[in-house]
Amino acid sequence: MRTRLSTRWPAVALLATLTGGAVPAMALAQDADNNPYTSRIDVRTGRRLFRAQCSTCHGLNAAGGNESTGPDLTTGRFRHADSDAGLFRVIRDGVRSTSMLGLGADANDQSLWQLVTYLRSLDVTAGGTPSGSSAAGQQLFTGKGDCTRCHMVNGRGQRIGPDLSSVGDRRALADLETDLVDPDAELLPRWWTMRAVGPGGQVVEGLRMDEDTFTFRIMDAEQNLRAFSKYGDWTYERIQQSTMPGYAETLTADERNDLVAYLFSLRSEP
Amino acid sequence: MTLTPNPTHSRTMSRVAAVLTGLMAAVHPAAAQPSFSEGAALFSPVTWERLVNAADEPHNWLMYNGTLDSQRFSRLDQIDVDNVGQLELKWAHHIPQLDRAETTPLVVDGVMFITESPSNVLAVDAVTGRPFWRYDHPLPSDLRICCGRNNRGVSILGETLYMSTLDARLVAIDGRSGSLLWSREVADYRSGYSKTAAPLIVKDQVVTGIAGGEYGIRGFLDSYDADTGERLWRTHTIPGPDHPDNRTWAGDSWRTGGSPTWITGSYDPELNLVYWGTGNPGPDWNGDVREGDNLYADSVLALDGDTGEMSWYFQFTPHDEHDWDAIQVPVLADIELDGETRKAMLWANRNGFYYTLDRETGEFLLGKPFAQQTWAEGLDENGRPIRRPDTSPSQEGTLVAPIAGGGTNWWSPAFSPRTNLMYVNAFDGEALFFSREQEYNEGDNFTGGGTETPLPIEHYHSAIRAIDPTTGDVEWEFPITPRSRAGVLATAGDLVFSASVDGYFYALDARTGTPLWHISLGGPVHAQPMTYAVNGQQYVSMTIGNTLYTFGLDGDD
Repeated sequence: MRTRLSTRWPAVALLATLTGGAVPAMALAQDADNNPYTSRIDVRTGRRLFRAQCSTCHGLNAAGGNESTGPDLTTGRFRHADSDAGLFRVIRDGVRSTSMLGLGADANDQSLWQLVTYLRSLDVTAGGTPSGSSAAGQQLFTGKGDCTRCHMVNGRGQRIGPDLSSVGDRRALADLETDLVDPDAELLPRWWTMRAVGPGGQVVEGLRMDEDTFTFRIMDAEQNLRAFSKYGDWTYERIQQSTMPGYAETLTADERNDLVAYLFSLRSEP
Repeated sequence: MTLTPNPTHSRTMSRVAAVLTGLMAAVHPAAAQPSFSEGAALFSPVTWERLVNAADEPHNWLMYNGTLDSQRFSRLDQIDVDNVGQLELKWAHHIPQLDRAETTPLVVDGVMFITESPSNVLAVDAVTGRPFWRYDHPLPSDLRICCGRNNRGVSILGETLYMSTLDARLVAIDGRSGSLLWSREVADYRSGYSKTAAPLIVKDQVVTGIAGGEYGIRGFLDSYDADTGERLWRTHTIPGPDHPDNRTWAGDSWRTGGSPTWITGSYDPELNLVYWGTGNPGPDWNGDVREGDNLYADSVLALDGDTGEMSWYFQFTPHDEHDWDAIQVPVLADIELDGETRKAMLWANRNGFYYTLDRETGEFLLGKPFAQQTWAEGLDENGRPIRRPDTSPSQEGTLVAPIAGGGTNWWSPAFSPRTNLMYVNAFDGEALFFSREQEYNEGDNFTGGGTETPLPIEHYHSAIRAIDPTTGDVEWEFPITPRSRAGVLATAGDLVFSASVDGYFYALDARTGTPLWHISLGGPVHAQPMTYAVNGQQYVSMTIGNTLYTFGLDGDD
């Protein structure tokens, strides 16, 4: 089975390059370690500040989008900061050699902390406790659900669906349930199918690993990597559908809850 | 035949060279240029006459848009449809600051001037890419810029370069040494003003615009004395209360109404008119606080070349609520329309419509969509859009095409007088537009909402489109996946060059759109190609990622 990686596609790029410890502890000595502005009113003030200062690049609701270059900030994980103090610094000072400009040394601490508070409030994976059993879900994952036929978790399983080793970092509980019952709902283009037809009529289909103006690359059902030119001898078409079966019928609601609990537990850090 | 400029008579010689190259252009433009043998003196002063006749010395690229009519068409034809497949890399220049590289370099007699993020410029040997000098502009740490630390290029008059800087200054730099000659504050950057576009030389003036449409500025176009940096005139793009058009803004909303001028305009020497596009009214997405047409936002202005006085204006998007800046390069071309030769202006607008205007009068001649749009039924007989209901931004989000980034954007189009086609980088996509109440605070972002694209970019469609300016019809398109933010160049080799965000640089057949050559250079693109020649060798340059690449044919051919 397969689910797509995220509702919000920029998160894929963001998460792919996540690194911890981007902010040297020494450099933070001048900042308070703990955010003193974390009330509900601070969230609202932070949102107002965000819309005024940050939304042009990061989107009105911080989910990226727009046509801009700013990444999704709603995943609870940040490429250049792994703590509130780190976020504070990034917002104040920007990120060198990127388009991320800081608000500047003159920005007041309260506003910066309120922005941190607002961003923390957006984490789609923070809320909720799964009702199902993670252990039972793990059994389903490898057993009745047959998920490892396509998916990999921590190096075990197959490659023709997204690697789910840290899917809990990216998906809220409700998203995971949707993924199971309606795989097409928020399918990422990475998991579309490309169908190529050769000059002799031979047909090759595979998952759309990447596509650009002149070429595309796929993984076929046998997990072979194949590359094609759009202006060569082959014709091609895109099939914008998931290859994953929906589990609305084949798993009971309780089983799906267990599976969701297991997927939600899959994190890059314990 | 070759000409070797004598440094002591360089002005005269350059005119002679210009005349001769003009005469020989029809024969073989690349071969007709002056020869700079090894060690020869390069770079003779660029007079106003040379700028007026820039098309006649196609081995040089003397201004941002190539020529004053901004066709971005070069008469160079050494690289053509038959041999473009043999292009090879000649040199590359790495830009140290990683940000959006949006430069169009100039080439003057074998010297190339490249601007770099954030507001720097350097001079290199156009044959090797190796530097003569560089100028690094000092910048404050609290800039107000909406869209990356970028600079799109310099202009040149005589031996002096003129450059916009992100702290809203205009600087004059010696073209031989890189020394700063003068630096003039155009506006206070702390209030949200910034400068990114190459200025336009008009006679002895430096005409230059301003950015800051997301900060509640009041836009203007300025002219400065090229020698002294003294301001000669300022024409506000939002008229003051003493002007009747001020009443197209509710209350005091004109004071923070944006309407910036952040892309380089054009000039018609016969009509003595400067043409310049204006950006969005502010706040971008909350039009309720600025009821009215919001003149002269989202317009093209035709201004007297000596005084800046307005001759006419044409507003593409009255009362814009979708951030559809009319920040496109005004392309000036004489076209046959209904058996008459018309002095026309060709304009593919961010709002999704293509327009042909009469550039003497501003009269609307024709227009139709060239990209997906869902906000208007069409254009009326005066070119005014017939708006559809329920397309305004809202609290819950309103789905409208084009996206805020537009059916096209500031990416330079090109026009070929050989094919009579206009080449435009187009985008078909839709976005959710949100409106929010927002108070104006000086120096803060002032957009009144935002936008989100509901689907991954792969769901939308991007293409280079060839538009017939006599009908507005799209003659062909070349699809791009997933999209492009590059400008376009057309050449007498009947080629169209452009690039795409996936890092390809490519050449199309200007008549059919057939791809003839491409190379993957691996970085996102925010720039536009240009071409030049030195010693009979034609080059084509393009910035991909943070590297400027220069290609040419094998010199042994």
